[in-house]
Amino acid sequence: MTDDPFFERLRSDARTLRHQPDELTLARIRARIQAHLERAEPSVADLLAAWFRPLIASAAALALIAAIGTSVVRSNEDVSIVDTDIEITMAGESWRVGD
Amino acid sequence: MSDDDPLEARAIARIQQGDAGAYDYLVSKYLRRVVSIAWGVVRNSHDAEDLAQEAFVKAYQNIGRFRAGEPFGPWIYRIVTNAALDALKHRTKFKHETITDSEPAARRDDATLPAMSNEIEQRIDAAIEELPEMQRIVARLHLVEEFDHQQIAGMMDVSEGTVRSHLSLARKKLREKLADLYGDVDD
Repeated sequence: MTDDPFFERLRSDARTLRHQPDELTLARIRARIQAHLERAEPSVADLLAAWFRPLIASAAALALIAAIGTSVVRSNEDVSIVDTDIEITMAGESWRVGD
Repeated sequence: MSDDDPLEARAIARIQQGDAGAYDYLVSKYLRRVVSIAWGVVRNSHDAEDLAQEAFVKAYQNIGRFRAGEPFGPWIYRIVTNAALDALKHRTKFKHETITDSEPAARRDDATLPAMSNEIEQRIDAAIEELPEMQRIVARLHLVEEFDHQQIAGMMDVSEGTVRSHLSLARKKLREKLADLYGDVDD
């Protein structure tokens, strides 16, 4: 790994300086990692919620548009009743109310 | 350092397909080394454990970006080294300082030092720890963890030239400090 004789000697003596965590420590870290991943991992409920959330949002948007549309149509209808000419026929004679 | 481990490649593919259980294989394979790298930088067992955990969680969260066929080792080593360097920067004593060669290494937590069996090991350890920060980290990764220049450059996000420069300075100082032990070794 190196052509340097000094570093080669030093490296062979320094190898034992590598930190060696014991099995208990390793098991503890593994458990902590696992716990983190489980917390981060989405559950079935999360997955379903993630699937349905945009559908519900779309349905809500459609409902809102439909409600607004209906109210606009209704208000137009109200206006049209007022604006429409009314024809009254009595005893063979016709009277028209409006424009 | 490159190793063609078909189990590793399979585990990564499974994780990318959503099988979190497959991550155990990678954790078991690399955990010991990852803790050792972190410990070498921060010199504190508690911090090293936290950093190892943080590195594995981060790697898992970003596994989607991992390229199939690449070894996992260099990637996790890079993540943990960067996390350890960040932790070092944020320690109180380095709060307002960047890690440079002008700062002496002063971070040892003697209570968490591994048991050293002989005087030579203790002398080497002390000599490395007395090096300025960047030289210390590079020297430790090269001499103790046995990474080559290119690997260290990748792990620390620096150029290979920078690694060589730090190692050259570290070598000179270690040669002086350990002259009585290695005086017979040719340059």
